[in-house]
Amino acid sequence: MKLIHTIDKYKWGYIFVAPWIVLFCIFGLYPIWLSIKLTFLKYNLLEPSKVRFVGLNNWFNGIRDGMFWLSLRNIVYNQVIFIALTFFISLGVAICLYRIVRFSSFFRTAYFMPVITSIVVVMIVLGYISGPEGPLQTWLLKIGVLKHGIYWKIMPPLVMPVLAVINSWKWFGIQAVIFLGGISAIPTSYYEAAELDGATTRQMFWRITFPLLRPQVFFILVMNVIYGLQMFTEVYVNFDLYGGVHHAGLTPVLYIYAIGLDKFRMGYASTLGILLGIIILFLTILEFKFIKRRVD
Amino acid sequence: MIKTTKTSTSLSYIYLTLGLIFVLYPFILMVLNSFKPGPEIMHAPNALPSRLTLSGYIGVFRDLNILNLFKNSFIIAISIMLLNVFLDSMAAFAISKIRFPGSELLFRFMLMTMMIPGVLFFIPTYTMLYRWGWVNHFRSLIIPGAVGVYNIFLIKQFMEHIPDQLIEAARIDGASYPEIYLNIMLPMSRPVLATVAILTFMGSWNDLFGPLLYLRDQKKWTVQLGLHLFSGGVPGHKIEEVWAANVMITLPIIVIYFFLQKEFIKAFTDVDLK
Repeated sequence: MKLIHTIDKYKWGYIFVAPWIVLFCIFGLYPIWLSIKLTFLKYNLLEPSKVRFVGLNNWFNGIRDGMFWLSLRNIVYNQVIFIALTFFISLGVAICLYRIVRFSSFFRTAYFMPVITSIVVVMIVLGYISGPEGPLQTWLLKIGVLKHGIYWKIMPPLVMPVLAVINSWKWFGIQAVIFLGGISAIPTSYYEAAELDGATTRQMFWRITFPLLRPQVFFILVMNVIYGLQMFTEVYVNFDLYGGVHHAGLTPVLYIYAIGLDKFRMGYASTLGILLGIIILFLTILEFKFIKRRVD
Repeated sequence: MIKTTKTSTSLSYIYLTLGLIFVLYPFILMVLNSFKPGPEIMHAPNALPSRLTLSGYIGVFRDLNILNLFKNSFIIAISIMLLNVFLDSMAAFAISKIRFPGSELLFRFMLMTMMIPGVLFFIPTYTMLYRWGWVNHFRSLIIPGAVGVYNIFLIKQFMEHIPDQLIEAARIDGASYPEIYLNIMLPMSRPVLATVAILTFMGSWNDLFGPLLYLRDQKKWTVQLGLHLFSGGVPGHKIEEVWAANVMITLPIIVIYFFLQKEFIKAFTDVDLK
């Protein structure tokens, strides 16, 4: 009786969350179940009748797949540069924004424009600017800084750093606003006290500002690892399905896309997807363990 | 460091203005190139256009059928936006105000699902929708995108500041929960709903991955997919068409952005990190 009463009293609550629960079951839980099932199968999307149970073969192949690990190395190379570069740019911008009063919102508005521009457009525009026929290199050639054009898209060591710089341009606005929020929340009395004790500006930054920004740093790192390691569009629009020359532009998700949508090997693609998911989850847990603890 | 002196303020203005040039230059170049004859874009990248031409803008209507791309993208983006605004606010209302038994737990579970990397879903969902025959239908993008945990989180965070007394008073007057949702919660949550609307519209408008997976038929292409496939095949002397397409596809988002800057910036950064 009591249960029926509770359900009746709160029935609208359950009805209102029902859409999310239903959609989550269909497009969240079921795909995960299907994904696990697929890892044990050799399943070609175009020939579903030829499905075959292969045990753990997909897993063994995945762990030994040199291309997959190469793609992972590429994306880590990219993310290390991207995270470090964006961190310094956005922290610098946040400090500058904090110090000024007039035009602050004007600068913020402008700095956010790359964030709202699509990756496809950003890659066309910045790809042109950075390319050998683009304005930047043409100018550098003219003043003699460069001897010849740099075709970075076909020069393996340059591919990931250039993409990282382009992505820093695109995303630093978000991080700057997050840092600005953190800096603004620090009570000015901390600095006044430090000043009385004769602290220098530099000391104040490293002893007060930086440690108190840990929640922001943590949040940004977690987001970067989850989303950054899944980079796809940036490389897809610039290279072929296998990442161009020496696979320098191959990222894990691009590789999974190629296996699934080019070769139609859904079982194997699914296994690599879970493998990448496990790696990302593992890194996220590490971040929680080592950084979050210090935040608290 | 936070001690603000006159020098540090002027230095900040100088740095920020330099930054402004870096940020705005690509946009200015994009607009200039869209009016510049193709051969000049290729061979005189730093020169101002010798003459302004509209051939790029005329060309995209002929060679890219850009109106159809706009139509498709609008249908998908508006559908996802409306579904999210209603379904997410319903869920947020139930969790923050109706507080049914288990709502706390459900919300924690939702936040946990945000940590699941999306790559896990991509192959099985594609396999599933392929078998269902959803490929080449807009519903393959709209239905899976109809709800979003981050949006629910933003709306819940906002609704918690709406006093409970308002709802209690309405309950005493005999209003049902659906009435309270429609007449009190929705109107009062307008700012955060605007944020969610922007976030979902823009996410869908700028997305390449979803359309690339599901929309094979050229008649179904969206703006980003159309632009990507178009940009690789345009001959150099007509390259201004790519730039005109860049401008036209970015413009709707930029226009909305200038009207709703605050909501835009909040959409990405309004997370309580405590």
